[in-house]
Amino acid sequence: MSVRASVPDFPNQPQLGPIAEVEGGEARVAGSAWAMGARVFVENRLAVVGVAVVLFMFAFCFIGPLLYRTNQVNTDIYNLTAAPSSQHLLGTDNLGYDVLGRLMIGGQTSLEIGLIAAVLATTFGVIWGAVAGFVGGWLDQVMMRIVDSLLAIPTLFLLLVLAAMFIPSIPMLILIVALVAWLVPARLIRGETLSLRTREYVDAVRVMGGSGARIVLRHIIPNTIGTIMVNATFQVADAILAIAALSFLGLGVPPPATNWGAMLSDGVNYTFQGYWWLIYPAGLAIVITVVAFNLIGDAMRDAFEVRLQKR
Amino acid sequence: MTGFLVRRLAQSFVVVFGVTVITFVLTRMLPGGVARAILGPHASPPEIAQFNHDYGLDLPWWQQYINYLNQLLHGNLGFSYHLNETVVQLLSTHLPRTLILLGISTLIALAVAVPLGIMQAVRRNKLEDYFFTSVSFALYSMPPFWLSLILIIWFASPPLNLLPPQGPQGEISSYLTWDQGSALILPVASLSLVTIALFSRYMRSSTLDNLVQDYVRTARAKGVSNAGVLYRHVLRNALIPIITLLGLSLPGIFSGALITEAIFNYPGMGLLFWNSAQTRDYPVLLGVTVVVAVATVAGNLLADVFYAAADPRVRVSG
Repeated sequence: MSVRASVPDFPNQPQLGPIAEVEGGEARVAGSAWAMGARVFVENRLAVVGVAVVLFMFAFCFIGPLLYRTNQVNTDIYNLTAAPSSQHLLGTDNLGYDVLGRLMIGGQTSLEIGLIAAVLATTFGVIWGAVAGFVGGWLDQVMMRIVDSLLAIPTLFLLLVLAAMFIPSIPMLILIVALVAWLVPARLIRGETLSLRTREYVDAVRVMGGSGARIVLRHIIPNTIGTIMVNATFQVADAILAIAALSFLGLGVPPPATNWGAMLSDGVNYTFQGYWWLIYPAGLAIVITVVAFNLIGDAMRDAFEVRLQKR
Repeated sequence: MTGFLVRRLAQSFVVVFGVTVITFVLTRMLPGGVARAILGPHASPPEIAQFNHDYGLDLPWWQQYINYLNQLLHGNLGFSYHLNETVVQLLSTHLPRTLILLGISTLIALAVAVPLGIMQAVRRNKLEDYFFTSVSFALYSMPPFWLSLILIIWFASPPLNLLPPQGPQGEISSYLTWDQGSALILPVASLSLVTIALFSRYMRSSTLDNLVQDYVRTARAKGVSNAGVLYRHVLRNALIPIITLLGLSLPGIFSGALITEAIFNYPGMGLLFWNSAQTRDYPVLLGVTVVVAVATVAGNLLADVFYAAADPRVRVSG
């Protein structure tokens, strides 16, 4: 989001500041790396579509219930698995809940868990990777072998073991997903830290008496922000898929709370009855959201990785 | 080459050792401890103390870990109290089915993805390329279980009713009969579709990388035909990264198998694992985890070795 925030609101207005002082030369905005990245990002039409879709999904899930009021508390036994009608735009599920309304409520959980898990996993992974890469030596070896060993266990297997051990509530589910997801950012950031720690500015901080913690937190991590943001975006997509898979396998949030994966899990029992409204809407919601986050991630990678830019 | 092999092998051992530490720590973290998990919530304190004593759970943790490692090295992965069988026995019936499912779908995925990726690279930024790019993007943003569900709805329920909605339940030897074999089609399809999406993307970019190399220009200058350049020169070089990709995608393929087996009720290792997660049958969960992790590490090791064999540059620098 902060990428978008740094886009000037009115690009056609005369620019103030250093850019306005340039005389005669090209009218190109010199701008910071952020502004440059933002420009590449906005030029990528698919990315703008991705942002629009994500914003729409948030509006749908969080504002939608205010406009489309449904009873998501009491079951309605006279209207079980009712087909879509003017009363229930997407029909009702096996407990009589309105599916469209449930899609909004379930989406709230999916998006919340996805975002928080991604932020947690990224934060932890970044710190882990930066410390390992910066300190180096045996500590690096131990820290990275832990990452390697956890990565050797296929994600879903690890998720299921954890979900079976710690009966999931929503906070527990966030923790479980984050516990599996922090490994990739840890590896990425360690790789980058290895090259960043040899830069002159790190030596400069050392000469000035800056501590290791200061170098890592104030200099190395901010310089990996591109990698962090790109990875975090993909993490949200992965987390949404992970929660959906866990819920589908019956180890997600316990009812009455729901999310898109859990809705699909309920729908499976009606595969052969032709109740399409129990199968397609929730699945499509997941696909659309995940595609949107992936598009944003791809575009951010193009924007941040200068070597991929065509200019 | 030997130096590279030895170093890679040592790394793999360290990772496998790390995995055993993780599974060991997980058993220590079981809510209420191992005894509660096995004896149930109504066990009395003396019973638990007796159980802990019998199974060496009252020893210091490092001694417990050595015992655990010792058991693993002797091929004892644990005992399922739910199914009243050892984990090794369970695996000997379930693992072969999973290997067949994975083997067939990975082979199919390769057979489709390699030509598809080359085609997309040759026709890059044309209509077909955009089409298949969008399709693969959608496929790997899709929850795999949803893809399987849609396949079931389309092909295994009215009105089409073409294929059975669940995987083959019989012995492996019966898979060649139409009855059992046709039941394998949908699980294989749902697994390979996702893999094709992933592999074809890599094949596309790997071919693109090679198409701009100097050797291609040299071959063209010598008068080699387009097809000759593609199949005799580019294809062989573009395939090398796919070896690594195969190794790296192993964990993902295992996860995919878990979901596919759960949906199609295919009695492989994934279904065993899923059922154990629901009954909280921890010995099976942790035993299978060790096996899957070792398989992943071994797969990565093999991929690296093959890569080094295929690409001399790796050997020299490694």
